[in-house]
Amino acid sequence: MNASTSTNVNTSRSVRATVRKAAFAQIKAELLRTLRNRRFVMFSVIMPIAFYFIFTSTMDADSEVGGVNWSAYYLMSMTSYGVAGAGITSLSQKLAKERTQGWTQLLRITPLPSWAFIVSKVASQALINLCTVVLMFVVAAFAKGVDLSAAVWIESGLWIWLGSFAFMALGSLVGTIRNTDVVQVVSMIVYMGMSVLGGLWMPVETMSDTMRNIAHLMPTYWLGHGAWNMLGGGAFDWSGVLVLAVYVVAFTLISSFIIRKQEAV
Amino acid sequence: MSEAAIQLQQVTKEFKGKKAVDNLSFTVERGTVVALLGPNGAGKTTTISMILGLLHPTTGTVKLLGGAPQDRQVRDRIGAMLQDVSVIEGLTVAETINLFRSYYSQPLPLEQLLQISGLDNERNKMASAMSGGQRRRLGFALAAAGDPEVLFLDEPTVGMDVTSRQLFWDTVRAMAGKGRTIVLTTHYLEEADQVADRIIVINDGKLAADGTPSQIKATTTGRTISFTAGNAVTTESLRNISGIVDIEWNGRRVKLYSNDTDQLIAELVRAELEMKDIEIMSGGLEEAFRSLVSTAKV
Repeated sequence: MNASTSTNVNTSRSVRATVRKAAFAQIKAELLRTLRNRRFVMFSVIMPIAFYFIFTSTMDADSEVGGVNWSAYYLMSMTSYGVAGAGITSLSQKLAKERTQGWTQLLRITPLPSWAFIVSKVASQALINLCTVVLMFVVAAFAKGVDLSAAVWIESGLWIWLGSFAFMALGSLVGTIRNTDVVQVVSMIVYMGMSVLGGLWMPVETMSDTMRNIAHLMPTYWLGHGAWNMLGGGAFDWSGVLVLAVYVVAFTLISSFIIRKQEAV
Repeated sequence: MSEAAIQLQQVTKEFKGKKAVDNLSFTVERGTVVALLGPNGAGKTTTISMILGLLHPTTGTVKLLGGAPQDRQVRDRIGAMLQDVSVIEGLTVAETINLFRSYYSQPLPLEQLLQISGLDNERNKMASAMSGGQRRRLGFALAAAGDPEVLFLDEPTVGMDVTSRQLFWDTVRAMAGKGRTIVLTTHYLEEADQVADRIIVINDGKLAADGTPSQIKATTTGRTISFTAGNAVTTESLRNISGIVDIEWNGRRVKLYSNDTDQLIAELVRAELEMKDIEIMSGGLEEAFRSLVSTAKV
């Protein structure tokens, strides 16, 4: 650059230093947006809590499922249900809207690297999921007297939180659909379908053999299963880790393949 | 010597075998205000998209500030207002602008951005709740957020009322005065005439003309001959006469566009057409543009 140009442009623009600042600002903005989204608060926070109260009150509090206390069992189901919904519905709709409305295109001409954009989206959703898990656990412990050892609280909470990444990956896949109305419908069908079939609403123990086999194909089942298993003092669910990890990789690969294909011009 | 703001070398872009941009070359020096002018579908937006790195040219090279448009160092120094109006949900105007400011190494202050976009009173309004014109002004604030050296404005005033349009161009002119390079596309010729130091006319993806507004007006004579035509005169009979670029009827009054009206009037007389109240006029930019675009098609 020439010093004699009349522009007041500084020659030492440091792009690298701004990436971290940009990523934090992006995370902050995503957090604000998610918390202001009434649909998200309704489906991922209020509904799971409401369902939890309804289904633990209508059933005998001391009843057990597979040797596990019902209010503890159903807490894991509904917490899983909440974080799965956050990934499938709110993330997919956010991504689809931003893409169809040209926002993503506008970001492509800014210095923000695309990885920083994706990482901050996932990080902010993960942070919110963590809060959802903690909120559900606190509500259940105080209002329903769910009593677990500290280790089980932490392990099951972490399990559900880590498992929620599979549903963010699924959300990003659903979000590649070009029509936002279709995304809304598809994400609700996938979410509700997977929740019911995977045994988050009604325990798989009450299902017929056929339904139980279907449940075993659902990532929702594996999300819940790892946590239910911990309640019963079972061994760590390595097969669940494997299944959820495969889902993360598969959904991420397919959605990034689709996006690359759509943008190849 | 400082690098040029924009350099296009024999750039062609094909979409499914159809050439949207055809062997286009031009250089934009820093500190100039350039208008890309052309009818709809001429290839203006495709050209801008390639300069911004949103599209890859099929052949040829594009350089922005001496580098590749995809380079983050380059992107830190540019800003663009795209044709598609875009906002994200769940953020206020000020929050959206601040988010964009965070992307750049040397952002302009929020207050200044609110002021130049005329959005001071809307700062706490949800961006998604704004009108079309307000959204465009937000788009302008976002384009200017990084204090860009090169600012792209793709059809910026569409949807703006007369007052906002005036305010907008005043702001752009002020930015241009500070040595910024500004590239705008428009099909409002008066705007190009008022704002730009240079006009590049694109038609059918090709360069049709390039020069200052007054050069464009001068080189393309863009003159017209008007007369009240007798009943025997039809569009078909006029087609046989050479030198006519375009024909416009208004009742029995006909207006002929030509690059050489001296030659044409002789032709018309020779053809013994029935003509009354003949007027020969030198055109404004509108006529110039029209004759440019029409001749380029032949």
